[in-house]
Amino acid sequence: MPTDKSPVMVEMRDVYKYFGQLKALDNVSLDVYDGEKMVLIGPSGSGKSTLLRSINQLEKIDRGHIIVDGIDISDPETDINKVREEIGMVFQSFNVFPHKTVLENVSLAQVVVRKRSKKEASEISRELLDKVGIIEKANEYPEKLSGGQQQRVAIARALAMKPKIMLFDEPTSALDPEMIGEVLEVMIKLAKEGITMIVVTHEMGFAREVADRIIFMDYGAIVEEGTPEHFFKNPIQERTKIFLNQIL
Amino acid sequence: MAEIADADKDKPKKIVIDVGDGAAIPSKEDVGLFTAWRVAFTGSIAIVAYLAIFHPDPYWRILKFLPDGILVTFQVTIAAIILSLVIGLFTGLGRISKNKILNGIASLYVEVIRGIPLLVQLFYIYFALGRIVNVPAMASAIIAMSVCYGAYMGEIFRAGIESIPKGQMEAARSLGMTSAQAMRHVILPQAIKTILPPVGNEFVALLKDSSLVSILAVSDLLRRGREFAAESFNYFETYTMVALVYLIITLFLSKLISIMEDRVGANR
Repeated sequence: MPTDKSPVMVEMRDVYKYFGQLKALDNVSLDVYDGEKMVLIGPSGSGKSTLLRSINQLEKIDRGHIIVDGIDISDPETDINKVREEIGMVFQSFNVFPHKTVLENVSLAQVVVRKRSKKEASEISRELLDKVGIIEKANEYPEKLSGGQQQRVAIARALAMKPKIMLFDEPTSALDPEMIGEVLEVMIKLAKEGITMIVVTHEMGFAREVADRIIFMDYGAIVEEGTPEHFFKNPIQERTKIFLNQIL
Repeated sequence: MAEIADADKDKPKKIVIDVGDGAAIPSKEDVGLFTAWRVAFTGSIAIVAYLAIFHPDPYWRILKFLPDGILVTFQVTIAAIILSLVIGLFTGLGRISKNKILNGIASLYVEVIRGIPLLVQLFYIYFALGRIVNVPAMASAIIAMSVCYGAYMGEIFRAGIESIPKGQMEAARSLGMTSAQAMRHVILPQAIKTILPPVGNEFVALLKDSSLVSILAVSDLLRRGREFAAESFNYFETYTMVALVYLIITLFLSKLISIMEDRVGANR
């Protein structure tokens, strides 16, 4: 299990982000260690998605520093595309490419960004599709797939870049209940392989099983952090207690 | 709120690009229009054939005189459509660009061009600019048509690109693609489906508008007709023939485009 002795993979220092008047991130500082599984929880609009999206700069922060694997991404000199190659992201709405087959979805960025040959990319894609249990759909178009299947394609697509960090932005929130399990299963499998994972989710069962650390956010700030044990047995902050009571 | 905004922007926007000019392109569902197309198409061919066979003087003579003009009309139309697609793509990209200068230039171009009638633009490029640089008539015609239609194409490209959900761009960028790579491999291939029908409309409209170039010294279909009429004084007969030939060509082209659209739709 990663500890504070492990190298820091993501370092956030005094990060602020505004949407107009709204403080989406309010002085957030956070270290994520190599191999750590971190789960972000909090009410809707608490800034957890914004925090996640700022790590690969889908949201540009207004103040502070975010250092990913030693590279300060808030530095305008940084080539953000290079950093993004190392950060996989899975979205709430899957965002698979509808004009590409499942296999092409997973291969595209390997060829375009990683400059792998089509053949090599296809082999890697097949391996990963097998891993997420969807190899038999390799030549289908996404519209033929269920939500759970699409999300597993999206996970394979992100993994194909061999990222060091995986970000999950409410990966199961758009799914029908019977499909949540198959996606969580893949994520749990992935967690056991030691990749750094930051997950925004409302799935407390997943948090309890997988998280090394849980962060509770509200109004753009980190309110409380600790192990699942700490959170589910004896949370300290009043706001944390109220939130957990609402969702458990 | 971030989460709320996220949910909103991931919903695919429903955008229907409806450009009203151009011949109506028949679709399979539109039964009435489909029959109208048939009646017009077979009818106009039948009339042309009838006139040419049973009244060869002057109709057959007119018909023999026109093909050179048809060729020129096609040349102008095809050259202008290719150029205007290129201009339109860059204009569309400029219009959605976050770069203020590029965006400004593209927007200004669209506003200015759309505010000036095509006929005036043709006069301007050929006669006014012709006093400074000597551009051949054919080239002036193609440039003017392309510049004009490029502005309209630009708006079609912009709308087509904007119709793709934002999550697609985010997914591509999160994989490390540059915005150009994402545009090329992810956004444009999907936008094509939305873009093609209005571009088809523009194609037909451009073909018809190409008759305006006859006022420059370009021997297109209309000008050939004018030349024939001026010599023979058969104004009624000549322009009847010219109108019918234009009609047959545009109807044929509309059909061709609708078939192409079906193909793209079917093969995604």
